[in-house]
Amino acid sequence: MPLLGSFCLLFALALSGYCFVVGIVGAVRKDFVGYRMAETARRAGMATFAAVTLAAFALVWAAFADDFSLSYILHHSNRSLAAPYKFAVLWSGQEGSLLFWSWLLATYGFVLRWRHKVDQRLVAITSMVLAGIQVFFLLLCNFVANPFGVEPGPMALDGAGLNPLLQYPEMVIHPPMLYLGYVGFSLPFAFALAALIMRYPGEKWIHITRRWTMVTWLFLSVGISLGAHWAYAVLGWGGYWGWDPVENASLLPWITGTAFLHSVMMQEKRGMMKMWNIWLIFTTFMLAILGTMLTRGGAVSSVHAFAQSAIGAWFYWFLGIVFVVCLTFFIINRDHLASENQLESLVSRESSFMFNNLVLLAAMFAVLCGTLFPILSEAVRGYKITVGGPFFNKVVIPIGLFLIFLTAVGPLLAWGSTSWGSIKRNFAIPFFSSVALGVGLIAFGMRPFSDMSHFYAWSTFVLCTLVIATITSEFIRGGLVLRGKMNTNLLFAIFHLMRRNMRRYGGYVVHFGMILFFIGVAGQAFNQEKELEMGIGDKMQVGHYTLTLTADNHDDTPVYESQATILDVQKDGRYYTTLYPERRAYKASGGQPLTVVANHISLQEDLYVIYEGQNEGRPIIKAFINPLVVWVWIGVIVVVFGTGLALVPNAVRVTVAVPAAVPAMDNQQHMQPAGVGK
Amino acid sequence: MNPQTTTVIVQIFCSVFAAVALIYIFIPSKDTDTGVDKTRLAYLYERKDVVYDNLRDLNFEFKSGKFTQADYDAMSSGLEAEAARVLDEIDQLESVPA
Repeated sequence: MPLLGSFCLLFALALSGYCFVVGIVGAVRKDFVGYRMAETARRAGMATFAAVTLAAFALVWAAFADDFSLSYILHHSNRSLAAPYKFAVLWSGQEGSLLFWSWLLATYGFVLRWRHKVDQRLVAITSMVLAGIQVFFLLLCNFVANPFGVEPGPMALDGAGLNPLLQYPEMVIHPPMLYLGYVGFSLPFAFALAALIMRYPGEKWIHITRRWTMVTWLFLSVGISLGAHWAYAVLGWGGYWGWDPVENASLLPWITGTAFLHSVMMQEKRGMMKMWNIWLIFTTFMLAILGTMLTRGGAVSSVHAFAQSAIGAWFYWFLGIVFVVCLTFFIINRDHLASENQLESLVSRESSFMFNNLVLLAAMFAVLCGTLFPILSEAVRGYKITVGGPFFNKVVIPIGLFLIFLTAVGPLLAWGSTSWGSIKRNFAIPFFSSVALGVGLIAFGMRPFSDMSHFYAWSTFVLCTLVIATITSEFIRGGLVLRGKMNTNLLFAIFHLMRRNMRRYGGYVVHFGMILFFIGVAGQAFNQEKELEMGIGDKMQVGHYTLTLTADNHDDTPVYESQATILDVQKDGRYYTTLYPERRAYKASGGQPLTVVANHISLQEDLYVIYEGQNEGRPIIKAFINPLVVWVWIGVIVVVFGTGLALVPNAVRVTVAVPAAVPAMDNQQHMQPAGVGK
Repeated sequence: MNPQTTTVIVQIFCSVFAAVALIYIFIPSKDTDTGVDKTRLAYLYERKDVVYDNLRDLNFEFKSGKFTQADYDAMSSGLEAEAARVLDEIDQLESVPA
């Protein structure tokens, strides 16, 4: 298998190198020979997929065959490792994960080249850009971090095993999802750069990449959420987001990708923000590479990051080359990106998109600065200064609140400009609903001015109500129009409303999911925690729960040793549940500890209990009450569902008569689209 | 299996794989499509569809009561003017003999 894997990696590098170089020649030579060369380049790109697939297969095969002659398998697998985790070996270490990156890129490239007839010239240059990225990652796999390196001497009897923290079902899915997100942004990036290089007329490249971008964004969202859920369920510190550098690294391209998904609508609809969009997608791709570098290169300290290695320098060079290439073609062809319309008013849908983008960019810069600050401080002062959660919360929470406000306002504004009359018409009910909720919360005992975290939580609830009201009004208004036209009930009319514009109404469902997510996050303001050393029969009071320790057991299995307690829980004096917090020490990893969290979930709050350790044989139990956390996960599920809806093609439109007179113009007989004014 | 035999099998497999890949790449089918650069006219037809879509959306939103008559008129006339410009240019380009 090392021979097959090494050969396939080298062959794939040669094929993608050919695809890149001959792709350039084919793009420059616009004659028959050039087209034939471009076709061979396309086919070489497709063959790259086969070669990288074989290399990835060879590594997984080696994991299943317990081939410890390979250094990578020796350090990331062992004989007793369960089958699903042997698949996960592919992305568990630096070398394997770079191979996995290459394989995903090759897969995306294969699909693109397979569907080349969508626009052959555009796809040819896009394929060439992708091949350039592929060459970089295959260079790393071949010469810097080769997963098929062989251990000297006789083969070891068993391996070091997979990190116990990663032996969790979500960890089999989380990294591939993140990678699908990171790698997926290569596609819209390559299309954007290709469109700029060839001065592609119009916005069809956006139309072609729309689904790619949405699917990529979805993968990244799911990947980030699974990572957060893993941190909550496995790391046992009571939270799900710790502003860890590697968490931040995954958030950065997600933020700019979100901005791109919004602002690109301006380009499609109004022919505006072309320069902005092109740089937004360039930035998103570069941030995805930066994210890969931070995780793989060990530039920052993190629970996720691999060891420090020389690979970082390669990424710096690659990022530098990408930036120079993007900047060069931008300077040469910037006149091609001139806007077709201008911003007419600050109270318009265009301006709400623009503010949305500025706010997201501000969030991105804040997170980027905080993440890179340790590296920058070390470069300037010689030692690392780490920026922690308080900095991020201080900066990002106000930005997030403004973003929720824009989410409420944007869809109700008109293109061009919006009059005071339209504003009153659209905002009266949502505004009074949110004010009523704000007053109601205070009446029921919430004290927003007692401290900053309570104020932020209260503001979040008020603004989320505003968004929910505006989204609901959008569905009901549209549904009412179709109900009259189709002579049906409101629910069926709303169903048809969604079917005629899935992207828009799926987008509203995504916004609704994000609102549920923010409500869950706002619950953090009311977290409670308590830690106590307990003996059998001892009680701990936290909030309205009483925890009684009934047993403390030690267990010794072939894989780990564990210490576990049984806790009976009463809520307001009545039996509520029994919890089993546990702490394990994995033998194959030299006794590396793992916390098995005992979490009782409800819509109102989580009772989250961990076995912290022991003091003179007595267990130390730590209990958290985390309000509303489940809404974070429900919100993510709704976001996934909404994105899925937005990906579904529209059904045939139901036309609606408009009685208003249309001003006469010279070509008016040509201008009316079907369904307007009839 | 003997390690040497395994090595030979893998070497044969690699050679066959490389040969098939090279044949696939360098003996493309005869109907290789050359592809054409996108024309301004093709772009204008795309733009026309987008402007018409915008008009349909605007009419629907107006019908749902989101905008005042004045706002609707202003947006509608802006979009119609854009549609007129696009159609004018399409007419001009199509009237030029190829």
